[in-house]
Amino acid sequence: MRRFTRRASAARADTSWLTLLGDLVSYVTGAAVVVAALGSTITSLREDIRSREDTVSAVLPGSVSAAVAGLVVAAALAGLLDQLGPVSATPPAAAWWLPLPAARRGLLRGELWRIGLVAVVVSVVLGLPVVLSGARSPTVTGVLLGLACAGLLGAAVTGLLAAAQGAGRGGRVSAAAGLVTVLAVALPALGGTAAHALGAAVGDPPYWLELCLPSSWPVLVAGGSWWLLVPAALLAVAGLVLGDRGLAGLRAGVLRAGGETVQYASASVLSLDTRAIGRALARPVRRGRRPAAFGRVRTAAQAVVASDLAVLTRSPWRWGQLVVGCLLPVLVARTEGLGESPPLVGIAVVLGWALAAVALGEPSRHAQAAPAADRMLPLADREVVRARAVVPLVVLVGVCGVSALLVSQGAGLPVGWLLLGAAAAPAWAGAAVRGGYRPELDWSGPVVSSPMGAVPSGVGATLVRGLDVGVVGTLPFVVALLVGEPTQLLLTVQLGWALLLGAVAVHTAHSSRT
Amino acid sequence: MATKGLIIARDLVVGYGTDPVCAPVSVAVTEGTALGVVGPNGAGKSTVLQTMVGLLAPISGSVQFDGRDVDEREAGFRRDVATVLDDDAFFPSLTGQEHLLLTARGHGVDAAEDVVAAEIAEFGLQDRADALPSALSSGQRRRLALAAAFVRPARLLVLDEPERRLDTRMRRRLAERLREEVADGLTVVFASHDPEFLATLARRVLIVGDDACRLTGPAEAVAALHEG
Repeated sequence: MRRFTRRASAARADTSWLTLLGDLVSYVTGAAVVVAALGSTITSLREDIRSREDTVSAVLPGSVSAAVAGLVVAAALAGLLDQLGPVSATPPAAAWWLPLPAARRGLLRGELWRIGLVAVVVSVVLGLPVVLSGARSPTVTGVLLGLACAGLLGAAVTGLLAAAQGAGRGGRVSAAAGLVTVLAVALPALGGTAAHALGAAVGDPPYWLELCLPSSWPVLVAGGSWWLLVPAALLAVAGLVLGDRGLAGLRAGVLRAGGETVQYASASVLSLDTRAIGRALARPVRRGRRPAAFGRVRTAAQAVVASDLAVLTRSPWRWGQLVVGCLLPVLVARTEGLGESPPLVGIAVVLGWALAAVALGEPSRHAQAAPAADRMLPLADREVVRARAVVPLVVLVGVCGVSALLVSQGAGLPVGWLLLGAAAAPAWAGAAVRGGYRPELDWSGPVVSSPMGAVPSGVGATLVRGLDVGVVGTLPFVVALLVGEPTQLLLTVQLGWALLLGAVAVHTAHSSRT
Repeated sequence: MATKGLIIARDLVVGYGTDPVCAPVSVAVTEGTALGVVGPNGAGKSTVLQTMVGLLAPISGSVQFDGRDVDEREAGFRRDVATVLDDDAFFPSLTGQEHLLLTARGHGVDAAEDVVAAEIAEFGLQDRADALPSALSSGQRRRLALAAAFVRPARLLVLDEPERRLDTRMRRRLAERLREEVADGLTVVFASHDPEFLATLARRVLIVGDDACRLTGPAEAVAALHEG
């Protein structure tokens, strides 16, 4: 049946083999250019870092951060595959194939191989920067073998998740993967901070510990432990065999639900709509343990704030994002080689705070998609958007302040750094609201030619909406990182600048709705 | 030309872009009355309602509420006008009961908990009040949306096929409830395909059509519904 469907699709398609070959060559060339650029950047960064003097505050060896990066990549891949199925059937496939009087295992085997192949490619691509930055004195052969190990582990994860899905235990890994990600960032960041405070030294992680974490295997292989390819290959084979056996137990409803998610997420990726990707992969909300009475709510604005607070407090996923957003810059600042570079710490600060702002933009994103709930309250549209900035502002004052305090550990004037970080919060709160309420992607703008192909400028302008305000609003903080001191002048400028940008962001968020 | 009423549509042409979906509408709904809107599928009933509450811009003509042009973004309009047009008008992460409670408190309702408890009982949601809307059946979500319109004060209630996905008993109860509310001064504008619902509630009916939109009595409208 699979073959028949494939032939029928091919017969109707107007794509020739030559076109496909041309596309393939184009993709491979593009990927090679990206890999070469990435490799070159990381190599020059390594050289640059090696030439710098160590600072006292960067106490974590680079190998710890490489292990964290490997763990985060593995957890992200496993969580994503678990959410997508990993085996699924799009609605048309479910309608056509699943009712057929044929063994489900045979019908779905091709899907398992397809998703396994995608996982291998994604593992290799995501593993590249980890292997390049984590391996000690990497060679070309070592890096290639390390990437092969990453691909094998990607296949193993796919197979094992398919086996769990077939046993009716699918959908349980993504929560665990989220927790692993949070712990992988938080523990080393806080541990490094504590070690620095106590004046203790942190050594490389023990070899046995890295062996216990398969996510570290690609780096170990690239560093010379080539024998690890054998257990990785065995894991891949075992995983895929178990996954293949589990296909027979997959229920039609599960396959169809996964297929709808895959279809929505794929369309979002193709249309470059990051907000829609988030919606497609959103975790189901939980209700509170106890019903809320909202006893303190007296006005419509307070009702908006209360509903936004409920979104935050009832989503462990958002709390995890906030913790990672707060501590990611701290991890970078504590890592040898990275912590000595204020620009790199500055980039980590922007990434971390942007992650926190995205987490806090969830109510705005929901309201943009379904504004009917807001219309039930006696509050003008403009006031609703303003009220929606309250929770992000309050939370980000804490996140940015604590993050800045920990990042600057050892630089003196801790209260000054704390206030400087907190002063950047209005810009990021505005960014959260502006990003959540951004309009749909505008594909009608002028097209700009680039080496990667035609880029529609209107799409880019919409995609960075929100983030733009946050990045620009953090500039005074980054300047303070560069000069190494939170001066009174920088503090004043940071607060005024962030308040101005935050107000503009909220105003433009409202304007984009009207 | 309509001149008096809580909500007045004058030569209202509704549609998408520049394409009208039905003939121009002129109607005035006075306070404390109910106007039914009927017509075959695709006639433009929902478009008329959405334009009357400001969710869609009219192609031409105007709509006024309480003497002012309709602007659904204003707090005053939102305070006075309750709508049940779609089923996704719920706050994320809140259970049905919490959604009703927050809506009531947002409108400054005294004894909000008692009001909410009464509406939950009225709409038969006691067993599912602590469920998230995403966990409710489509009929239960419809009941919750309707309950949300009653836990808050309003002068005008606009409903798009309120009988949709309700069982027969609940339809009758809803029609009776609305009739009582109208008697107490509420103004209701609703689209419906249900002859019984229409006959119970409406004293005037707007029949929407391609050639003409005309006002009539419920008997003629019910006959038109039976004829399809």
